[in-house]
Amino acid sequence: MSLKKFSELFGDLDSINSTNNKIEVLKNYFLSNDPIDNSWAIYLLTGKSNKRFISGRYLKNLFSQIYEYPEWLIDTCYLKVGDSAEVITLLLKNKTNSRKKKLSNIGLNELLSETIPALSKLNEENKNLEIKNLWETLPEDNHLIFNKILTGTFRVGVSIGLITKSISKLINIEEEIISHRLMGDFKPSIDSYEFLINKNINLQELNSKPFPFLLANTIEDKIFKNSINDFQFEWKYDGIRMQLIKRSGNVSLWTRGQELVNESFPELVEKMSHIKDDFVLDGELLVWNFKEQIAYDFSLLQKRINRKSPSRSIQLKYPIIFIAYDLLEINGRDIREIKLENRRIELEKYFSKWQNKTENNISDIFKICDLIFPKNWPNALTYKEKSRENNTEGLIIKKKTSIYSSGRKKGIWWKYKVDPMQLDAVLIYAKGGSGRRAGLYTDYSFALWKDQELIKFASAYSGLTNIEIKELDKWIRKNTIEKFGPVRSLKPEMVFEISFEKIQKSKRHKSGIAVRFPRITKWRKDKKINDADSLENAYELMKKIS
Amino acid sequence: MRTKEECLIRYKDGNLYCELADIWIDPSKPVKKALITHAHFDHFTFGCEEYISTKETAILLKERVGDNIKIKTFEYGEEFKINGINISFYPSGHILGSSQIRFIFAEEKWLISGDFKLQKDQTCKQYEIVKTDYLISECTFGLPIFKWDESNKIANDISKWITNSPEKTSLLFCYSLGKAQRLLNEISQTNFKGNIYSHGSIHKMNNSYRELGIDIKDTIKIENKKKIDELKGSLILLPPSLSKGSYLKNFKNIQTAFASGWMSIRALRKRSGYDKGFAISDHADWDGILEVVKKSEAKNVFFHHGDSDALSKYLVEKESINVLLFGK
Repeated sequence: MSLKKFSELFGDLDSINSTNNKIEVLKNYFLSNDPIDNSWAIYLLTGKSNKRFISGRYLKNLFSQIYEYPEWLIDTCYLKVGDSAEVITLLLKNKTNSRKKKLSNIGLNELLSETIPALSKLNEENKNLEIKNLWETLPEDNHLIFNKILTGTFRVGVSIGLITKSISKLINIEEEIISHRLMGDFKPSIDSYEFLINKNINLQELNSKPFPFLLANTIEDKIFKNSINDFQFEWKYDGIRMQLIKRSGNVSLWTRGQELVNESFPELVEKMSHIKDDFVLDGELLVWNFKEQIAYDFSLLQKRINRKSPSRSIQLKYPIIFIAYDLLEINGRDIREIKLENRRIELEKYFSKWQNKTENNISDIFKICDLIFPKNWPNALTYKEKSRENNTEGLIIKKKTSIYSSGRKKGIWWKYKVDPMQLDAVLIYAKGGSGRRAGLYTDYSFALWKDQELIKFASAYSGLTNIEIKELDKWIRKNTIEKFGPVRSLKPEMVFEISFEKIQKSKRHKSGIAVRFPRITKWRKDKKINDADSLENAYELMKKIS
Repeated sequence: MRTKEECLIRYKDGNLYCELADIWIDPSKPVKKALITHAHFDHFTFGCEEYISTKETAILLKERVGDNIKIKTFEYGEEFKINGINISFYPSGHILGSSQIRFIFAEEKWLISGDFKLQKDQTCKQYEIVKTDYLISECTFGLPIFKWDESNKIANDISKWITNSPEKTSLLFCYSLGKAQRLLNEISQTNFKGNIYSHGSIHKMNNSYRELGIDIKDTIKIENKKKIDELKGSLILLPPSLSKGSYLKNFKNIQTAFASGWMSIRALRKRSGYDKGFAISDHADWDGILEVVKKSEAKNVFFHHGDSDALSKYLVEKESINVLLFGK
């Protein structure tokens, strides 16, 4: 089957806004293409293939070299387009239309399983020649797909959820089963596609795979009308949400992003494998301060995530813990359908059983989450406010009678996050956005006062409405002091309320502070720049929190 | 290099102006004498004492703004004199009646390209290459990422877009004058044989084109109270100004698209709010501008309309063409 069909699918999905129509288009694609191409399509569309064969910069340089285009011109085009793969695709239209070479009719499977992987084995000269050859022989409609796969930037508005729904419709099997089959490592092959569309549900094949995660919704006021006794309260930790699975002796650690991360946390895998029971636990992985029994900052956990087979000293420097929230399966028995309060009883029962085994002390790496028992809703609020003291983000509130379904199910789990910290800051730099925001100034830097000087303290990209972005873009163009490549320095005039999650000391920044998840929460048109906060205010905020 | 005052044509108050002839080109405010390159509203302003244009432009303008304006007309290629300066219109291929304007004074030639395209368009005269010493060119799409597909390919894409969703009403937004007629002409040559409706403003221009001898398919003027069922599977042409707001509530089960050169960029397409974008333009693409610059044999080039930094730098570096800056 040709690459053309997939390019068409990409184009269709890109230009359809309605979810139902997208599902219909996907279903028809699956019906009319080979299993192997279908498996590649799923692999690409769900973003499981973010491997980068070459960088966007490399692609641009190569184009510049082959077609004698000045690099500055390509960079100028990039500012308008916001995606290297697309810039090169558009520029290629100018170059390959007069070609004489015979067009290749390569299929999706061949391109992805042979041609592209073979590229990485070539030396630079041959690699460049081969890419040039592909540019010249691939039909024009396929250039975007090809360049996007090369640069690992294949993203389109298709979620796993959409794929799940369309396969579910295709074979008439519940979405839960499909999303279960789609979890984790999906290797494109005829087998994997056929497994996906198999009408017989085979539990054994599903053995190592996690359950779809149940997610919490942002709190709604209506919850306060209910009795506080209907809910279970937990701290909301800022770590990596995970399922810890042990089945038939094998332990697997799956993140919510569907990555198998056993190799990053071998000490946990090792400890858990000695437990006699089989289980599936839902919980959070954290770097833990065992002395004070609180979590360390997320930045320490980042030092562990991407490091495979960490040394003993790394393991000691960044000690991890798995905090279990929930028990989903025990010794082959799926208990997701029983009430949360009863699952909690089971969890506590098994935890005390495992803990009492002296030959395998798990308490240095595993615990179950402590529950909080507020007496009433105002009391719950007080707990929430205290959450910064123990390095959590607030509370998770779960209905005691809830079963463990999948996705962001309404009305059973809520997150009650602590209010963000805020400072009013002055806009001083703007940079062109990329992707959908190309051609607009959407990346902003903000500053606080230090005596008479404005010092940059945070950059933020999100929080403004599209209308505000356009308005601000116009203002930026009129109030530029200097241009440095894509960045403009601006007349200090605009004040914004910046919210963030965390504030801490940082030697890397001139301001001496670093904030986490900064975002714009209000355009303070009512404020003059002299009303903006000072670094002094930021330091005070930091003191108050620690 | 000459000073601004020594140029035959220069910027004055943000408009192109020829002082020796005391005449303005597409002025944005009332003046005594105005040369009009074409009948789009961003090239026209009310209140000038006298307008000069091609015959077609004059007819289209009067159709749009009423008979109450004084327009003198000339044929393409016909020379006329104002204060000793020879002036003539040449086809620019942008829309029906659109023109480039050439000035000759003391054996020095100046050419204003007007809005132009080189692509084939059956609803207007093809761009004519005119030799000049000085070229003042538009630069709306002055980056090499802009490379237009043949218009029949776009028309086929549009036809497919409509016929693939027979249960829907397809709303295609495009400029009422020029783009709409070009699309109609192209679409009538595709496989789409369903009904085509057009908004009053477009319908009016269709009629004018037809009276001027252009082959345009007859469309049905869209009425607000049309039954929804009748519109299923048909195409409706609407001006972009109606894409936002309550007008769309007149229709049910629609898909929308915008026909514009900017739609070749995915980010702009996504941001536009239309379901789909068709990249078709009545302006020249990068190659088109380069071709005109080269074939005009101009030694000096000015750009206006659009961001010309990259194109200017490219011409200076790669083609050793002198690109001058207009003081606005």
